[in-house]
Amino acid sequence: MKSKLILALLAITLAGSAAAQVKPEDAIKWRQSGYGFMAWNMARIKMNVEGTTYNKEEVIKAATAIQAIANSGMGALYLPGTDKGTGWEKTRAKPEIWTEKEKLGKAAMAFNKEANEMAKVAAAGDAAATKVQLGKLGGTCKGCHDDFKIKD
Amino acid sequence: MNRKRIRLWDLPTRLFHWLLALCVAAALISGQVAGNLIEWHGKIGLFIIGLIVFRLVWGVFGSTYARFAQFFPTPAKVKAYLRGEWRGVGHNPLGAFSVFGLLGLLALQSASGLFGNDDITFYGPLFDLVSKDLSNKLTSLHHLASNLIYLLIALHLAAIAFYGHVKKEKLIKPMISGWKETEHGESAKGGGLVAFILALVIAGAAVYAASGAWLPPPPPPPAAVETPSW
Repeated sequence: MKSKLILALLAITLAGSAAAQVKPEDAIKWRQSGYGFMAWNMARIKMNVEGTTYNKEEVIKAATAIQAIANSGMGALYLPGTDKGTGWEKTRAKPEIWTEKEKLGKAAMAFNKEANEMAKVAAAGDAAATKVQLGKLGGTCKGCHDDFKIKD
Repeated sequence: MNRKRIRLWDLPTRLFHWLLALCVAAALISGQVAGNLIEWHGKIGLFIIGLIVFRLVWGVFGSTYARFAQFFPTPAKVKAYLRGEWRGVGHNPLGAFSVFGLLGLLALQSASGLFGNDDITFYGPLFDLVSKDLSNKLTSLHHLASNLIYLLIALHLAAIAFYGHVKKEKLIKPMISGWKETEHGESAKGGGLVAFILALVIAGAAVYAASGAWLPPPPPPPAAVETPSW
């Protein structure tokens, strides 16, 4: 009985400390890193659909990277209280992220869907289709930026 | 009362007006939808800059009623208008505020867009000239100003409806045909071909400057270095 109690206590302590391991400024940094890395990959796809040559391999790499980040569960980095704070720079997360969860969830899921679609389209290798999908994907970024990101 | 027909709005002024109306509508829609339309939003913005600069030049060298000096809303004119004593032709003193307000706001809007970014894939053509921080601030301004544009458009349309229904003065027809029936005033003079070409050239130069086409291209990646396989 006593040993079970100690075990339970230990489990709680461990679980608690595991969650506490993500420091707020780290969470903000990782968020910003994710978006920054996606920006590079968005730019890579854009370069390929607008340039004179379309490099299918490049686009696949970029689309795969975006898909991976989209499906990485970044939502976990929006810890309570991290609407304020500084990672690589001051966070531009709006407090609405923590209050309008349903709306946010919809915007995030729309992005996931288009990111997955982007990977499929990239694999097919058609430049025109990739361009259209890039626009759709960008539209879902805006879907979140409009309501949940501070502009300056 | 002898009413006569006068030539009120010259053709360039009318073309400018309707093209601007069309472009602003297209810019508002493409800006809201973004996504695949965002590149068009940028192109439309550049065209609007051309239109505005054309109008600024035309406001000096255009024909009588297109000239800023003709309708500039001086306090005396505004007072006279509010007392119902204004007897001019063309933009009335309150309408003049609308002209300058819209021109100024659209100039601010298109200029801020040149330096803006959407943090997705769109960067204004002159983005490289400012810091990311300033670009973000200008983008924020761009978003705020778009609300003001909706407001001024609503005011503009409401004023046209008010003049049409309450004051029985049709404003749209002269803006299409150029002719207006009136008791006072003379037909517009000036604003010939030379002035028109001058305005076009200056507007073209402004669009070129705004397009960033003159900016040095980004340096090519160092040659001979192969992209690593990882």
